[in-house]
This record gives sequence, structure tokens and C-alpha cells, in this order.
Amino acid sequence: MNDLAIETHALHKHYGDIRAVDGLDMNVARGAVYGFLGRNGAGKTTTIRLLAGLASASGGEMRVLGLDPRVDSPAILERTGLVVDKMLLPSMTGNDLVRFNRGFFPRWSDALAAKYAEVLELDMTRKFKKLSTGNRTKLCLLLAMAQGAELMMLDEPTAGMDPVVTDQLLRVMVEDFANEGRTLFLSSHHLSEVERVAEWVGIIDHGKLLLEGRLEDMRTNFRRVRVVGETLPLAESPDIVSANTGEGTTEYVVRADADAFAAQLVSQGATVLDVTPLNLSEIFLEVVGKGKTNVSMEVLA
Amino acid sequence: MIIRVQPGLGVPIYLQIESQVKHAIAAGALKLDDALPSVRKLAAELRINPNTVARAYQNLERDGILRTVPGGGCYVSSQSPGLMKSEKLRRLRPMATQLAVEARQLRLARAELLQLLENSYDDLESR
Repeated sequence: MNDLAIETHALHKHYGDIRAVDGLDMNVARGAVYGFLGRNGAGKTTTIRLLAGLASASGGEMRVLGLDPRVDSPAILERTGLVVDKMLLPSMTGNDLVRFNRGFFPRWSDALAAKYAEVLELDMTRKFKKLSTGNRTKLCLLLAMAQGAELMMLDEPTAGMDPVVTDQLLRVMVEDFANEGRTLFLSSHHLSEVERVAEWVGIIDHGKLLLEGRLEDMRTNFRRVRVVGETLPLAESPDIVSANTGEGTTEYVVRADADAFAAQLVSQGATVLDVTPLNLSEIFLEVVGKGKTNVSMEVLA
Repeated sequence: MIIRVQPGLGVPIYLQIESQVKHAIAAGALKLDDALPSVRKLAAELRINPNTVARAYQNLERDGILRTVPGGGCYVSSQSPGLMKSEKLRRLRPMATQLAVEARQLRLARAELLQLLENSYDDLESR
């Protein structure tokens, strides 16, 4: 358990009849950059709020930095940079908030705060309520990053930011967090950013984690196999994510052993047109779009 | 040397880095004992995970293309790739198949394709 920064088992959060988090099993290794991916309303924000102890779970187990958020939330927050609600005291300026926050965090760095203000092009003399949505997010990020925290939990950190600042933020994430072996857990549906920086990816939908693994392994293992044949065998394999037939061509998406799968089809008389890789966006659509649950993690872990 | 990666390609990023380093060496842009950027520096420049860069460098080192001096950076190695010939051929076969398919599609004669390959080889050797 000590090598995990975040761990959940059968985690539940119900709001009345709505199961916002519905049996979530997730493992985030210490030092990992982990992209937590899901559509709007998939349960990303609720999960982060549970992990920070800002909401109480309906059931299940969780550990953050080895602690239970239900009882040790203050100890977790002291060591965790958190950006979730993006709401701060409205009439305080960035500089006020730096002075206000530094006392709470033993490893706070004014130098880092100043550096991030420059990198993120943020006016620290403006009141929070006068900032645009993107600049509010930046200020929240600045305060979280200046804590010198060992774990960062960021909910949609690049929402509302322009491409130049997003690029600068990605550089900071790599230089100051990934390179320093700190854990970075970020939720997003901006797959192209996650595709760059994340080593691990978890895909959540309807409150369940459908897929978790190393991104490079997913890129290596997921393949689209296009096949032509009059009488294709109804291929039975747990590795098939989807199969679509149209105009004499069948398109399979498999998540492991594509070469063996293609060879099996050929041996049954089919012609394999090509075997091509999928990018993260395509993998996401396959996993979420088909709504296939319980894609086992063993293959990818 | 400038390395560029395209995360959206579906090709693992470490493979993209490996092939660009190999290409730069083959084209003479990188020479024996030239230094490569450190893992941390390249990761920050490309905004990618440092473990991805480390994996590419490890594979290149395993193939004898780079050598790492502990605490002192990463250099183009003098060793030629110490792979078995069958392994070398296995790696190239998919590309050869792709070339053959495209050539047939374009109704290019076998000799014309081979001539094209020879020209490319000559270009590299003349640098």
C-alpha cells in the first residue's frame, strides 16, 4: 500500500437515487502522472471531493497518502495541492491570498508563487471576483503548486485557459512535478494534453473505472483490425472491445494480442486488410462509447 | 537536434523518439560522441512524461546506439547496433511491406521501387 498515493476500493457516493460514484476501484502509484478521464458527469469531480475529504462516501474504502480521508482530511490537505471548486475569497487579491495561504502549509514557497505568477501571466493585484474564469483557475493552481505538496489533485486544470498558457502549465507540470517524482492526479476531458504528460490513465464512466493502465501499453496493445471475408467466424475473445460489420468489411478493436488475433482470423479463411494503432481519443471512445463494463485491468497493468 | 513528438498518432511516444534519434544518426545530424539532452530537459521541452523519454533512451542504449555516463549525460555511441540479423530484418519487414503495397498501388515497377531505395541509401552514404 505504501507505493500508492491514492487507492480506492468499491468506492460509492450516492445523491439520492443518483450513483455519482458507483464502485470505483482505482490505484495511483506514488510519483505517477495519472490522467483521470471521463465525460461530463462521469464522476470525476465527486471522486476528487471524496479523496480530499470534502464529501463523505456512501461506502467503500479509500486511502490518500496512506491516510483515510474520512478521518484524516486535514493531514491529507496539508500535504496535497488541491484544485477542485475554483472558488476563493472574492474580495482578496492574488497577493492577499498568498499571504493568507502560506501559514497553513509547512513547505510553502513564496519564490514558487512568484515564479508561477510570471509563468501563468497572472495579475496578482486584482481581486479574485474581478478575474476571468481562466484566471481564477490559474490563481487556484498557483496557490496549490506553491504549497510544495507531494501530491497534486487537479480537477480540469486547463479549463478556460488559452493554448499558450496551457503549454506553459504543461511545462511546469513536467519540470516541477513529474521530474521531481511528485504525484500528479489530474482529471480532464482534454485528451491531447493528457496524452502528452500522463504515464497512467484511468477512464471513468457512470461512476465506474472502465479501464486503468499505462498509456504507452494501451497505445501498444489496442489495435483496429480490418478484415474481409464472406463467412467470418463469430470471434470469441475477451480481448475484443468492439466489432462492426458493414459492406463486406468487419472492423474489430482488440485491446491485446492483435497479431495473434489477426493470425487466427487468417487461419479461418479471412483476409486481414490492416492492423492499425489507436490514439487515446479513439481508445476513449471505444471504451466509453460502447459502454462495455468490467474491462479487466490485468492485461494493461 | 530537434525532436518533435505527436502524441495523437497512436504510435507510442518512446518509439517516435527512438526512430527520430536513429534517423538523425543515419542522416548525419547526430555524430559519434554528440550529446543528447538529458531526460529531464527533453521531457520539459516536449511537455511529456520523463519516464517516456527514459524508456526511449534505455531502448537506444540497449541497442548500442547511445551510451549513458552515470551522472554525465547521454552520448551517441561508437558501437554499431549489436542486433542479430534476423532481428534487424524483423524490424524492417513491416516498412518493406508498406512500401511494396504502396508501389503496387501506384503501378510502379519492381525495378523502379528498388531504384528508389538505392537512391535513398546513396543519399545517406554520401553525407
